[in-house]
Amino acid sequence: MTSATALLVAEPAACTDELDRALRDDGFEVSHADIDGVESQAADLVLVSASFGLHRIALLSQRLAGPEDSPTVVVFPGEDLEELQACVRGGFDYVVPPFLPALLRTRLTSCRERGRLTRAVEEMAAVASLREYERDLSIAREIQSGFLPDELPCPPGWELAARFRPAKQVAGDFYDGFDLADGRRLGLVVADVCDKGIGAALFMALIRTLVRHTAQHTGTGDPACDIGVEPLRQAVCGTNRYLARNHLRQGYFATLFFGVLDPDTGMLFYINGGHNPPVLARAAGGRFLLEPTGPAVGMMPDSEFAIGQTRLLPGDQLFVYTDGVVEARDNGGGQFGTERMLDLIGRPASCADVLLDRVDERLRRHVGSAEQSDDITMLALRRQVRGRPTGRREAQG
Amino acid sequence: MSFQAKVRSQDGVVTFRLAGELDSRSAPRFHEMITQAVVPAARKLVLQMDELSYMSSAGLRCLVYAHQRAGNGVDIELVGTQPEVAETIRLTGFDRSLIMRAHR
Repeated sequence: MTSATALLVAEPAACTDELDRALRDDGFEVSHADIDGVESQAADLVLVSASFGLHRIALLSQRLAGPEDSPTVVVFPGEDLEELQACVRGGFDYVVPPFLPALLRTRLTSCRERGRLTRAVEEMAAVASLREYERDLSIAREIQSGFLPDELPCPPGWELAARFRPAKQVAGDFYDGFDLADGRRLGLVVADVCDKGIGAALFMALIRTLVRHTAQHTGTGDPACDIGVEPLRQAVCGTNRYLARNHLRQGYFATLFFGVLDPDTGMLFYINGGHNPPVLARAAGGRFLLEPTGPAVGMMPDSEFAIGQTRLLPGDQLFVYTDGVVEARDNGGGQFGTERMLDLIGRPASCADVLLDRVDERLRRHVGSAEQSDDITMLALRRQVRGRPTGRREAQG
Repeated sequence: MSFQAKVRSQDGVVTFRLAGELDSRSAPRFHEMITQAVVPAARKLVLQMDELSYMSSAGLRCLVYAHQRAGNGVDIELVGTQPEVAETIRLTGFDRSLIMRAHR
């Protein structure tokens, strides 16, 4: 107890001479204060008169509790022993007269040790509950990754690639790519569930499942229509109906782009449900935006979705993304912006992966050390130029 | 700029005045305000949007929630919405469920 400091907190009129003397005899540097005059970092040991009452003493103790080391707070009796009892019942340690140095020293040592133990237990409990939360979250992340495709299908003559960077452990974004109609069509999806965190992640899992399952289990329908159209329509309308019927009150919805490609002809049928318009960059020059053909999915029960259509020619590429790309912020709060993104997409790229790496690299440079504020998802589909395969897959295979 | 919101109810008209950025950090606060203010007696919601500079999908989710909470037949009027925020709403198709006005 070398150069330890003690603070005696009592009414100015109260007599604390005996306690003061005993503490000094024990090597303490003693100072005095009224209860309102106590500053944090006041002393190693704070002795408070029980005459202030449990409530004020508890507030003082709270005020003195620091993030690192808090002083040990001990009460001593004023005139009324009832007040002391109330404090002891409230969990405070105490000393009582006669204040003889040897007795006081033993009591204070045990008070101090008990205080340290209590704090250690509280800290351990806090750390344990944080660890448990972190473990749950990392399990959620792992399960969620099972709702993304292990690898994207890639019909001959085409490249399909994606990038996915959640802002938190779990994401509301997702992308998907799967075969339809016995491999005669390719389905591709990019979606953004509103909001983020665990709630959005749960709805991501639901929406992804509904869309994929419905698309893959819907027949090709009317022979006069393209074989991809009916699965497309059913998947989006069915998912909207399901969400509106069962989950409208929770207020989650998703913006979603779902395209169905005929790899032989390059025809693409699509529904854009309130999603940031995908960009079609033509090899011959020019960019086209695939604007919404209906509202966000799950927002309203009576939504209608039209089918859009376009055709990818050799060398054309389609870039589908979520708002996390254009709304990515730098340290000053400045957004990445649509113009910058369009400029990057408009330049020729040797393959889909190169295009995504280019945008991703510029995005990372823009965000710099700022915190990533939203999930970032990008998907690129590119039709290869016949006879001149330039994609990475070909180079490796 | 951080998000600020004020609410006033008079004769069944609930008026929100929004300012700053409504994103996933500020949305829970606005959500709570809607829960408190949008009661069955409300017959019209007015949102003063001119000082709102940004709205993410979490913010839009609040509007969808207000729409559901108010129920059918209760008009929701957005006044003076800035172009970028209006674009966010328009893109998702939710503008069809709202009345968008330049001024009161």
